Parts: sequence; C-alpha cells; structure tokens
Amino acid sequence: MAVQPVIKLEKVWKTYQFDHLALSVLKNISLEIAPGAFVVILGPSGSGKSTLLNMLGCLDLPTKGVVYLDGRDIAKMSEDELAQARGRKIGFVFQQFNLLQNLNALENVALPMIFQGKSELVRTKRAESLLTSLGLQERIAHRPSELSGGEQQRIAIARALVNDPEIIVADEPTGNLDSTTGKKIMEILIDLHKNEKKTIVVVTHDPTIADYSSQIVHIKDGEIVENHINHEKMVLWKK
Amino acid sequence: MLKEYFKIAVKNLKTRQLRSWLTILGIVIGVFLIMSLLSLSQGLKNTVLQQLKAVGTDIVMIMPGSISDIMTTMMGGVELSDEDLEVVKNTRGVEVVIPNLYKGEIVKYQNESKTAILYGIDIRNALDVYVNDMGMKIATGRWALPGKRELVVGSLVPTDIFPGMKIGTTINIKGRQFEIVGVLKSMGSKQDDSMLGLDIDLYRDITGARKGAPQAIAKIAPGFSVDQVAKDIKNNLEEQAKRRAGQQGESSYSVLTSDAMSGIVGNIMGIIQVVVFAFGSIAVLVGGIGIMNTMYTSVRERTREIGILKAVGAKNSTIVLIFLMESGIIGLVGGLGGMIPGLGLAKLIQAIGQVHPMFYIEASVSPGIILFGLFFSFGVGCLSGFFPARTAAKLKPVEALKHYE
Repeated sequence: MAVQPVIKLEKVWKTYQFDHLALSVLKNISLEIAPGAFVVILGPSGSGKSTLLNMLGCLDLPTKGVVYLDGRDIAKMSEDELAQARGRKIGFVFQQFNLLQNLNALENVALPMIFQGKSELVRTKRAESLLTSLGLQERIAHRPSELSGGEQQRIAIARALVNDPEIIVADEPTGNLDSTTGKKIMEILIDLHKNEKKTIVVVTHDPTIADYSSQIVHIKDGEIVENHINHEKMVLWKK
Repeated sequence: MLKEYFKIAVKNLKTRQLRSWLTILGIVIGVFLIMSLLSLSQGLKNTVLQQLKAVGTDIVMIMPGSISDIMTTMMGGVELSDEDLEVVKNTRGVEVVIPNLYKGEIVKYQNESKTAILYGIDIRNALDVYVNDMGMKIATGRWALPGKRELVVGSLVPTDIFPGMKIGTTINIKGRQFEIVGVLKSMGSKQDDSMLGLDIDLYRDITGARKGAPQAIAKIAPGFSVDQVAKDIKNNLEEQAKRRAGQQGESSYSVLTSDAMSGIVGNIMGIIQVVVFAFGSIAVLVGGIGIMNTMYTSVRERTREIGILKAVGAKNSTIVLIFLMESGIIGLVGGLGGMIPGLGLAKLIQAIGQVHPMFYIEASVSPGIILFGLFFSFGVGCLSGFFPARTAAKLKPVEALKHYE
C-alpha cells in the first residue's frame, strides 16, 4: 500500500485474565486501514469483531502488539491525548445508539464539540445543519425517548460527524433497526464515504454493504481469516 | 467551557430531582445548625467585648476566688469583705475603689410594677470614674446627689421598661419614693441601659447589703503600671487572707485588668464557638456522606453515560469537573438553604430577647459569616464528590460502554 495507513495494527493481542483463566479475544492481528477505505468487518458472534473495532477506535488498548493511529503508537499516548484523538479524529456509531437521555437531539449532536472548546453559536449551527441534512430538522428539540430507532441512529451519526472526523467507526449500526431503516442508515454511511471522503470501518452482517466496500475483513475466533482489499474501489475514492 | 460543564451538571441533577433535593436537605440541616449557633455566639461575644471596651484601660476588677474557678465563686455567693475593700484602697497606686453593687428588685412606677436592676453608685467619691472610665454619661437631666432619694436611669428605662417615664416623676422602691433626675446615654448593652442607679448608701440601706460587695472596681492612679498595681492588689489581698487563715481558711482573689478581661471573655467565647462549630460540623459531615453516597450511586447509574462522554472526546479532568460541579452545587444550594433559616432563627431569637430583657442576645450576621457558610458548604460538597468523581474518571471507556443500567 503506497499511502500511509491511517490505522495500523501490528501483531495485536487482546487477552482477558479471569482468575486462573486467560482468554484471548484477539490473536496476533495485523491490519492496515488506508485513508478513505470503506472497511467491512464480518464474523460470527463472539469472534472478536467489536473488540477489534474498539481497538481501531482507540477505545481500548492491546495487551500485546501495537496499534498506530496516523503513525503514533496509541499505547504511548496519554489518556487526554487519546480522548482528544477520539473526539477529533474518530466518530463512533454504536448499535445501541448511546445517546444521552437527558439531552435533546441538538444537544446530543453538539456534545462532542463542547470537549473541543467550540462556542455555543458554532456548535448550534453545525449541529442544526447536520440534523437538517439527515432529515431531522423537525426533531431537534426531541429527547431520544421520543424518537424512533432510525431517528436515534441518525442523531448518533450526526454526533459522530459533528467534529468532522477523518474516520467513522460503526459497530453494527443497523443491528437494532428494521431492514428498511437499516438500509437507509447504510446509505448514509455510503454517502459519507463517497461525498464526504470519510474512512469508514463498519461491523455488519449486511451483504449489500459488503458489496460496496473496498476492504473486507473476516474474523473468526479472534483471528483474521480473510483480508480482501479491492484496489479498484480504493482508487475510486482517492482525492 | 466551564459554563457548558455547569449546564451539564445542572441537567444531571435535575434528571434525578428527588434524590438531589433529599441530599441537599442533609446539608441544609447541618448548615442551619452551624449558622444559627455561630451567629448567636458571635453576637454574644461582640456584645460582651463591646461592654468591656467601654471600661477604661486604667481600671481593674477585683473578684474573690480564682478565675479558673469563677463559676464556683459566683454560684457560692463568695463576696469581698469590707476589709478586702480596705486592703485594695490602701494598695499603692490605687486612686479609688468602687464596690460593684447590683440587685434585682421590684419597683413600681405609677401603677405598674416590674423587676429592675438597681445599681449602687458611689456618687460622693467616684463620680468621675463612672463618667470617664465606665461610660456612664447623662443624656438628659443631671446626676443624683449623694444621700438624696434620686435616681438616674438607663436609656431604655423611659422607652422600653416604663414607656413615657419623665424626669421629675417618682418611682417606688420598697415603699420609698425616688425622684428621677437624669437619663443616661446608651452604654451599648441592654442590661446596663435598663438599670436604675442610686447613691451607694441608699442602695445598701434598701437592699440590706450593708457590707462588702460581690466585686469591686479600682481605678489606678496616673503614672502607675496597671499590671503592676493589679499584682500588688492581688498580693496584698492574699497576704491579708493568710493572716486570717487560722479562722477562715485560705482565700484566693482574681484581679483583672480590662485587657485580661477581654482576653478571658474572648477565650471563653472562642471555646464556645469551637464547640458549636464542631457539633454543627458533625451534622454537615453526615450531609457530606449523603452527598458522597448520592454521587457514588450516580457514577454507578451513569457508567454507560461516562463511557459515551469519553468516546466522544471528554478528558478525565472533564469528567471529574462535571461530577465535582454536581456535588459542589448540592453543597452550595444546601448551604444557602440552611443559611437563610439559620440566620433567620438567630435574628428571631434576638427579636424575642428585645421583648424579654432577661434573654437579651444579639445575632451577628456579618458578610464574613455568610461567606464562610457558603464556602464551607461548597467545600464539603466538592470534597464529598471528589472520590466518586475520581472513580468516574478512572472508568475505561470500553468497559463503561458495555455497562447496562
């Protein structure tokens, strides 16, 4: 790969220690994600997909091996640097939406900008524009409990985009949605890749999205069994 | 950004309103106790010290008994004898000795009878000491003449005790008529301003207190060291007591300069305040534990929320700050909530005291006490929230996100 990867995993292990039992969820994983890639991670339940995604999103640190974000070893970054990296460089979309129940849609979307020191005016403008672009202009003042699953996930996507991150990490974003709504969410992610030039890493079971992707990673029992890169689709994205 | 974190903190507290208010109530009770008792004890201290300040610096007070055992002396009715007063008078450097004589008696003015404090004044020998050193100055009328049935009254007598009392009218004390000839200027204390002053000989005659005095006041002549003369008085009194030891047993005396009196009163009141504060603090501490409990519960309930905040870029310090703000707000609101009724109660007690002079007590509500109360309660809030906040900040984002409520 000619371009420097935005995220690189080098012989990464993640092992959990339970009293006398050590359980390795990730085993010797090496993986590179190029800027602008659309990566789909596939695998059965309990295969380590989410753990891998957490590692890629700097939410977790490896037990062994190295994770590089823009060439920097994340284990050597301070907690504050990691928090800043998550806030600025990476946007998360979760299966459970993970919106704050006591904040309305606008406040939820604007929340990550507070931690980047953005003024209220800038925050509100940006959050409103994102919510409008995702068709939620009527839902701005609603709390998550007053919204459908699809709407909540769109708010979560808006929140992931609010700091204009380079990478969007999505963990089964359609897992809690019906197929029609799920399809719409996937279309949004594809649109973000095509038009917003975002690097997308998504854990999914959706075969249609796998068709669109530029890189498919199959994982089983904590090991990568297939890492297929479609170079033609990679070119499609390049600036 | 502090403003934004503050907004988040307030929102979080509002989300769990009942629990927040119950926690606040714990602090309210503690601060209420501290504020009411502190303002009353500070007021008491101010009043006593103010009265002592009115006494000149060349004045010493002589009392029987040791100062460390003052209550026993006062309760036991030990008095200075005429011989004691004579010893004081003959000590080198003493200009004049005034027996301090006072007693409550029922007095009748027109058709109204009330208990008032009679004060025996040595008008013949020491009028200038009363005027110049003890702050007893005539506002209207004149001083009573020695040996005459005349009275000077405190400034509150014609206004509060016998409203409408006028100079030239008479008052009946134990069947004898006394003419009111003068009203004194306020001396700054309710007791002093409520007294009826009469010539010392007439006082002894009426009350039957013919000998000695509970205490005496001595004025030190110019050019003498007040401390040295005070020591001499004490030595002379004790030597005389030793000479009489065979018959009456050994006695001790306390001779206090005005500085020493202020110091003693200041110390006693200081101890009272420390005790009051310590007891009040226990109540606030319990409130603080309540805050800590609430905050730990909150951290547990909001583990997932903390994970979300970290996932979207919140630093550990931000999480700590939000939680500290929440606990600080609980403390501050509790402080405000306790202070208002606390100081209100103190003022109410003061108001009651003005109607019943026996309970006279002043409540000191100074900006200092208010600021102290607010900082104290805010501090307790922050301190109580510190450990829960640290626990919250230490949560690993990935583990926090896995947490289900």
